[in-house]
Amino acid sequence: MEPEQQTPGRRFPQSVYGVGSEPDARFSLANERTFLAWARTGLALLAGGVALEALDLPVERGLRLSAAVLLIALGALAPAVAWWGWSRVERAMRRSDPLPAPVGFGLLVVGVGVAGVLVLVGLLRA
Amino acid sequence: MTAPAHPSLAAERTALAWRRTALGLVAGSVAAGRLLVEIWGVAAWSVTLAGTVLAAVVLRAARRRRHDLHGRQTPGAAPHVGRDPGGRLVTACAAALVLLGGAALVVVLTRPG
Repeated sequence: MEPEQQTPGRRFPQSVYGVGSEPDARFSLANERTFLAWARTGLALLAGGVALEALDLPVERGLRLSAAVLLIALGALAPAVAWWGWSRVERAMRRSDPLPAPVGFGLLVVGVGVAGVLVLVGLLRA
Repeated sequence: MTAPAHPSLAAERTALAWRRTALGLVAGSVAAGRLLVEIWGVAAWSVTLAGTVLAAVVLRAARRRRHDLHGRQTPGAAPHVGRDPGGRLVTACAAALVLLGGAALVVVLTRPG
């Protein structure tokens, strides 16, 4: 929209900013907020996983460790998935393509559910 | 493409989202420091320090981002030539969090007892 102000070669990443034209800033900002919400979700998963191991809860050790590792792995994966989703949405908006379907929700829900079951069984067995 | 009428509210919400994320990072690094103190001793507080410094850097970058966007989108505002907000901050944030997660995984898996 303001080609004289653009320096396309300098905008990172090129896979996103190398295509299409500038979308309405509000949509880019909303996309960024979605990324940040995912990033915070990842932080919360990390905190939950670390707390599970660090607080010495009366949960069978093997199951507790499995649940903690699962939560932390999800927490480490979430920001990567979030970045991928962010770049796909930004690219689609620049090309005026339909927005891609969100990814990662299924994995997140199943993962957190499995971690919950592990903790529950571990509590009953301890 | 028409210019957005009022991007400033969306920009403000996004700035707040960055602040919440930075706050979460500070809280997380304080908790990590407190928990690791039992294993690493005083050195564990370096994790808190690193997290807090990282949060400050994120806040600063997000603030600059907001100003850049404002400069680009608001009629009459001083133009910031060549400083369109790109994906550097988002990418750096994602990379830092993945590293943090990897570190947490290593700490939990190598924890004695």
